[in-house]
Amino acid sequence: MIEMKDIRKVYQMGKVSLEALKGISLRVEPGEFVSIMGPSGSGKSTLMNIIGCLDTPTGGSYFLEEKNVAGFNFDQLSSIRNQKIGFVFQNFNLLPYATAYENVELPMLFNGKPGKKRRQRVLELLEMVGLVDRQAHRPTELSGGEQQRVAIARALANDPSLILADEPTGNIDSKTGQEIMGLFVELQRQGRTILMVTHDMTIAAYSERTIRLLDGHLVEARQ
Amino acid sequence: MRAQLVHLFAKEFRKRKKKSALITFAIAWGTLSILLLMSFGRGLGNAFRISFKGLGDNLIMVYRGQTSKDYQGLPKGRRIMIYPGDIALLSALIPEIGLISPESNDYFTITGGGRETNRNVCGVGPGFGVMRSMIAERGGRFINEEDERSARRVAFIGWNVAANLFGGENPVGRTIVVNRVPFTVVGVMKKKLQSSAYEGFDADHVYIPHATFSRIHTQLFIDRIHIQPKRPEDNQVVERRIRQILGRKYRFDPEDDYALGIWNTIEEVEVAGRVFKGIEIFLALIGGLTLLIGAVGVTNLMYALVKERTREIGIKMALGAKRRHIVLQFLLETAFIFSKGTFWGAAIAYTIVRLTRLVPISYEITGIQTYLLRPIFSLDILVVFLVVLGTLVFLSGIFPALRASRLNPIEALRYE
Ligand SMILES: Nc1ncnc2c1ncn2[C@@H]1O[C@H](COP(=O)(O)OP(=O)(O)OP(=O)(O)O)[C@@H](O)[C@H]1O
Ligand SMILES: [Mg+2]
Repeated sequence: MIEMKDIRKVYQMGKVSLEALKGISLRVEPGEFVSIMGPSGSGKSTLMNIIGCLDTPTGGSYFLEEKNVAGFNFDQLSSIRNQKIGFVFQNFNLLPYATAYENVELPMLFNGKPGKKRRQRVLELLEMVGLVDRQAHRPTELSGGEQQRVAIARALANDPSLILADEPTGNIDSKTGQEIMGLFVELQRQGRTILMVTHDMTIAAYSERTIRLLDGHLVEARQ
Repeated sequence: MRAQLVHLFAKEFRKRKKKSALITFAIAWGTLSILLLMSFGRGLGNAFRISFKGLGDNLIMVYRGQTSKDYQGLPKGRRIMIYPGDIALLSALIPEIGLISPESNDYFTITGGGRETNRNVCGVGPGFGVMRSMIAERGGRFINEEDERSARRVAFIGWNVAANLFGGENPVGRTIVVNRVPFTVVGVMKKKLQSSAYEGFDADHVYIPHATFSRIHTQLFIDRIHIQPKRPEDNQVVERRIRQILGRKYRFDPEDDYALGIWNTIEEVEVAGRVFKGIEIFLALIGGLTLLIGAVGVTNLMYALVKERTREIGIKMALGAKRRHIVLQFLLETAFIFSKGTFWGAAIAYTIVRLTRLVPISYEITGIQTYLLRPIFSLDILVVFLVVLGTLVFLSGIFPALRASRLNPIEALRYE
């Protein structure tokens, strides 16, 4: 699924440069549920962004489903994100003016799924996360846990094979966090590959494998 | 683009109604002020042309004068008179002349309709009415050839004279007495705009055949000759020929500008026409510069509108929005704001112009109001304006839109 070799990321800020990733090599098989841990500033988000094609590495090679994404342009990367990847963010990142329904629908608008199928899919996903009755609510009218469930439904809109979650439970209480993890387990059961950043051991325990980052290095790959 | 996406854009747009309303207002305001500027500028020039025609249509007037140069042994300071015989002479020798008429005038006591008034009575030829843009009210006519030939006692009167003597009644066919001689009124002058005059405005005059005038007045010379060239472009030629022919007859230097008074209104109108064209161009320039400033303002507002949505742009990019989705959204918004703003601006400008034109204007006072109250809203002004503004607004929209689409998704997502 994911094949990274010696991935480097250097942030250039004027004269000062900062190497956030110092040669990461990582392999993730299809269907794996991997958690990423590590202290703050160790490069977890940087790595996730590169895996999610939101950012490009300054060195190394990255194959996503056997495709070298290094040569892809913006619109091609957009297509990849749209089709293959579902994002779940710590701060949900829902469109504030749009209803739960419209937020879930959004990724399908960018790939032109026909209206009827789209509607069916939105309802199916809201059903799955248990929010059909909240479909007309705006994010501000939903609790944190509910917003994250909408975000998960949205991540699944185009049926991606890879789910990337950067601290998905960071902004919600632990009980709700457990519920969210329940959904993740279900997603893995459906055959999806999941990468999740977390600081919480009990959350990481839901994954099959945990990798650790320390100061831009991958220090340990357990289990 | 998919209708659903446009629907989403619309929803997002409505969310920002207040901020876009400001831009819409700015565009509407600019449209309004520039269209009004142009409309009133054009109306000004047009009112001038019309009112100048009120004095005369392509008219050259010849007056008596006084020489200012010695000529063929004759001293300067001689008075040069003109006589009825000069009319035939000039029309015979200058083929460029279309219409020609003598004019002599004096003040007389006039009675009619049981009232009395003191008025300027002018003896004129039949062509005079056309040259001076005098149109008879329905049921009347101007002095004609037969009146002149037979020295009939008929009169064509200005609308003020008519109102003075006859009130609301129709003067045509009634009798007025000029200097104890009875005249039949054959026509009343229709109201017209007149910007310049000598010895009072036409509305206050009584016109009678020149031949008849000669019988009630003792002067042998004539006061003025009115000439209308066949083609206005010939005005300079005609003017030169008049000086040559009359100079030979009365022995003055054709180069002596004071020997004859010549009022060449054609030249005057041409000069003034250029002045008004200049004013129009000047106003357009002011408008253009105003627009440019406005465009900078609109660009700024569009940038702000884009900027505050940076995070939302980031979210959309993460979810698979392509560059063209982002650009299109902002261009659509710009186009929408532009259409709305210009529509309202133009509609209000048009309404103001129409309402202004409804204000009645007096035909006697040719003051500033005459020129300001007849703005002209022309399509060509609107079209030129829309093209210029459209270009500016497009430019002011495309840059923020392009910038939005070039955002790095990560930076955009992190934007607060
Ligand atoms: N856009 C950027 N410009 C410059 N430096 C950056 C940028 N993004 C991240 N960094 C730096 O790169 C390093 C790794 O950052 P990253 O966000 O990946 O850490 P993290 O492991 O996700 O931390 P946290 O647990 O706090 O989220 C940090 O030192 C950070 O300051
Ligand atoms: Mg992070």
